[in-house]
Amino acid sequence: MIELQDFSVSFKSGTALRQASLAIRPGDRTGIVGESGSGKTMLAMSLMGMAPAAADLSGKLVLDGRDMTGADDRGWEALRARKVAMIFQEPMTALNPLRRVGDTVMDPLRLHLGLSKAEARARALALFEEVGIPSPVERLRQFPHELSGGQRQRVVIALALACDPELLIADEPTTALDANVALRIIDLLVRLAEERQMALLFISHDLAAVARATRDIVVMYGGDIVERGPTAEVLTTPRHPYTQGLLGARPNPVAEPRGADGKRPRLPTIPGSVPTLQDLPSGCRFSGRCPVELPVCAGTRPGSTLISATRLANCHALKQEVSA
Amino acid sequence: MKTRLPVNFLIGAVLVALVLGAAALSLVWTPHDFAQMNIKAKFGPASSTYWLGTDQLGRDVVSQLMAAARNSMTVALAAVLIGGSIGTALGLLASAIGGWVEDLVMRIADIGFAFPALLFAIMLAAVFGPSLTNAVLAISFINIPVFARVARASANQVWTREYVAAAQAAGLNRAVISWDHILPNIGAAIIVQATIEFAVAILAEAALSYLGLGAQPPAPSWGRMLSEAQTLMYLAPQLAIYPGLCIVAAVLGFGLLGDGLRDITDPRLSRER
Ligand SMILES: Nc1ncnc2c1ncn2[C@@H]1O[C@H](COP(=O)(O)OP(=O)(O)OP(=O)(O)O)[C@@H](O)[C@H]1O
Ligand code: SF4
Ligand SMILES: [Mg+2]
Repeated sequence: MIELQDFSVSFKSGTALRQASLAIRPGDRTGIVGESGSGKTMLAMSLMGMAPAAADLSGKLVLDGRDMTGADDRGWEALRARKVAMIFQEPMTALNPLRRVGDTVMDPLRLHLGLSKAEARARALALFEEVGIPSPVERLRQFPHELSGGQRQRVVIALALACDPELLIADEPTTALDANVALRIIDLLVRLAEERQMALLFISHDLAAVARATRDIVVMYGGDIVERGPTAEVLTTPRHPYTQGLLGARPNPVAEPRGADGKRPRLPTIPGSVPTLQDLPSGCRFSGRCPVELPVCAGTRPGSTLISATRLANCHALKQEVSA
Repeated sequence: MKTRLPVNFLIGAVLVALVLGAAALSLVWTPHDFAQMNIKAKFGPASSTYWLGTDQLGRDVVSQLMAAARNSMTVALAAVLIGGSIGTALGLLASAIGGWVEDLVMRIADIGFAFPALLFAIMLAAVFGPSLTNAVLAISFINIPVFARVARASANQVWTREYVAAAQAAGLNRAVISWDHILPNIGAAIIVQATIEFAVAILAEAALSYLGLGAQPPAPSWGRMLSEAQTLMYLAPQLAIYPGLCIVAAVLGFGLLGDGLRDITDPRLSRER
């Protein structure tokens, strides 16, 4: 349905996304994890045709068989909301503070589906009900500051669902919410994806959230996709050294107890820090921080190694291990 | 917000209320007909009939000042509305399109900014003859680059907000986003600027009328009252002082009100100054 082939996003300062290949089919639920700055948002924005104007894009982006690589804003505007929609991390800032939330949700309905005001309102009302907003009639007329964080995020979800997108991208949709609300939002997203046969691309720092929401997972580091496979397998038996570091000593993040603050622990820290874009090594992005690094790693980019029928990882050491 | 209103805002609001009140009142009532001459009563002192006395032609000073306030407010309002709308539209456009269009609009704004208003008004008067309309046009014109700059700078900030990304993700085009999302969110900055420019416009109108390029007789104007009184400075200095005070009160009032509004809407900005 939507496919990236060797897609790269580069800035003057460096490459934020390097030759990413990713295919999403109808009904897929895919997670993306990785430390801050690993290019998760860049990947998501690329799928919406919303990479920053300053960026150089290369590679191929195919949407429903159409090559969107050189498409301009106008070409994308017609597809956003209907093919691909996105919900954002911070529900407070993702809604215009001076606009009634009902109007915000009705905008794409009127624009893309050509509904009259009354039709759009009825549809917005149904959407509010679908995403579980209580007393939706009154809510339509309210401003964002009158709603709680969880309700705002539901409004953002309703907005994204307005034109029945085939793919919903959720970029850290629960990071700003407290734990119980986050859980309910995740379950809502999963339910909606299943009911609507909609693909879900779920980006998060929270491995437990990804485990709950997705069937497949993509692990990113330094702008590279380093490992991918079924979520449960990758999280229980990570094979790439970076994924292993990310999971730390926690083989099963789903069973991890919550901390005193009620939140699950964030990703454990890997020794060292993510280099800035300029300082990323040209070979394996993880070289320099990798505990099992080989001499070849810093200069040569590792290719994909097939671990099983459904799992891939990009690592020199792993390749030797598997072929041995 | 429990903070007290800033002093500049309060003083400004009082002065503006006085000036606007006088201007509004003059629509329905003035103590005398401002144009009514009474040669016998010329240079009259302040009295119960003529509260601030009469001028060299025996016209009531209070009535003239009130009618002049109305003239001044009308000119300033028209100029700020015209210049403000065009400037804001250009700023929004520049911000929405970006790239070379933005550069071009802003370079033109820079040129307009560097161009003295009075010079432009004198040019207009030279070509089309002195009139109040030309004065309004000249003052409107100098407002365009001011508002274009403010609108562009504020709009550029709003374009980076997540709700704008969300609107783009919903497939709204840049024109719709500019109107529905950007404009309301730069409204505060525009209103602050409009208040300050109102003060500038009042001063500009007074200056143009003083030079004979604004309000033409018998239309009353503080600037023209000032210039007419100038020749009589030794005889009747109060005739120059009253319109002068009115100009100061109006300019100061709108200036302080604008500063105060800025302090209220953007405390960060005022602390930086
Ligand atoms: N406009 C830009 N110009 C230059 N570099 C940018 C720009 N936007 C993002 N980057 C860089 O691209 C890299 C990837 O950023 P991205 O936002 O995709 O990371 P992320 O994985 O989403 O991180 P986070 O978890 O913090 O959201 C970062 O190093 C960032 O500094
Ligand atoms: S390629 Fe080398 S540096 Fe990179 S993860 Fe594998 S072993 Fe470590
Ligand atoms: Mg991100």
